[in-house]
Amino acid sequence: MIEEFCDWLSATSISVAFQSAGWFVPIIQTIHIIAISIFLISVYLISFRLIGLTRFRSPVAMITARSAPWIWGALSVLLATGVLLTVTEPARELLNWVFRAKMVLVLLLAGLLLVVQRSLSGNPLYWDESPARQLAARSAGIAALMIGAGIVTAGRWIAYVQ
Amino acid sequence: MGIENALRWLQNLQFPTNIRESSWLFPTIETIHVFALVLVVGSILTVDLRLLGFANRDRPFSHIAEEMLPLTWTAFAVAVTAGLLMFSSKALIYYNDVPFRIKMTCLVLAGLNMLGFHRIGARHVTKWDAGKPPAAARLAGAASVLLWAIIVGAGRWIGFTT
Repeated sequence: MIEEFCDWLSATSISVAFQSAGWFVPIIQTIHIIAISIFLISVYLISFRLIGLTRFRSPVAMITARSAPWIWGALSVLLATGVLLTVTEPARELLNWVFRAKMVLVLLLAGLLLVVQRSLSGNPLYWDESPARQLAARSAGIAALMIGAGIVTAGRWIAYVQ
Repeated sequence: MGIENALRWLQNLQFPTNIRESSWLFPTIETIHVFALVLVVGSILTVDLRLLGFANRDRPFSHIAEEMLPLTWTAFAVAVTAGLLMFSSKALIYYNDVPFRIKMTCLVLAGLNMLGFHRIGARHVTKWDAGKPPAAARLAGAASVLLWAIIVGAGRWIGFTT
């Protein structure tokens, strides 16, 4: 069923137009990579603060609130460029298990960031309130970094696992 | 020609040959390169966005710079190491590749821009640290954004030409 969808999509005029422009995929991928940079730096800053490794020790609630527009803005750009890339080469993405794994990881990280954001907007000291919460914060920070690394790895390996 | 012979010698060494002939070694090194470069670009863009007044306007420039600097240098060291390893595996091909040459040129220009910023734009940083940076500093920020966007694009383009 997905194969038929890919066949249909790659035959649409918009997909054909994107496919014929040799510069299209490289430029969209470049925007995608720059958006990943913004996204991952924000994840890095929040994660390191959750783990407790930052130099300036700004309140984690402040870092999270400040990062939010950049995180969700970058994710929007990533979604848009991702859709464009998939429309151009549907089978390369949709029939590839590495791509699907990457999507699962993206959803996991977005969900984790949302949980952290929501908890802090209600109570800025949420993750400081008990040793259990502090441990959870550290784990969340480590998990976010690892999932981020996993997303980048999966993204690159789409091209190698066909 | 001296250089071409030297590059041919380099790529015929044992480890570069292993990288070139292995099915997983090059992709693995490349993945590390991509992960590192994403952090380089993200941390540099964070500083540039502060210089241009688009982000973190309420935080002193020196705080942003100090926060990002260790990450930029560490990630850059990893990216360069991975890059040198990849280069060594197909030295002649990369040397003659146009996007590769563009990328290396822009890396040098980005480095010079950074040097120029430290010598000129950041000279009286304590005066403008809490507020709007002077024109020279903002220009360096804009140049940095442009150069690194080209570096990412050229880097991606290498993958399509080699």
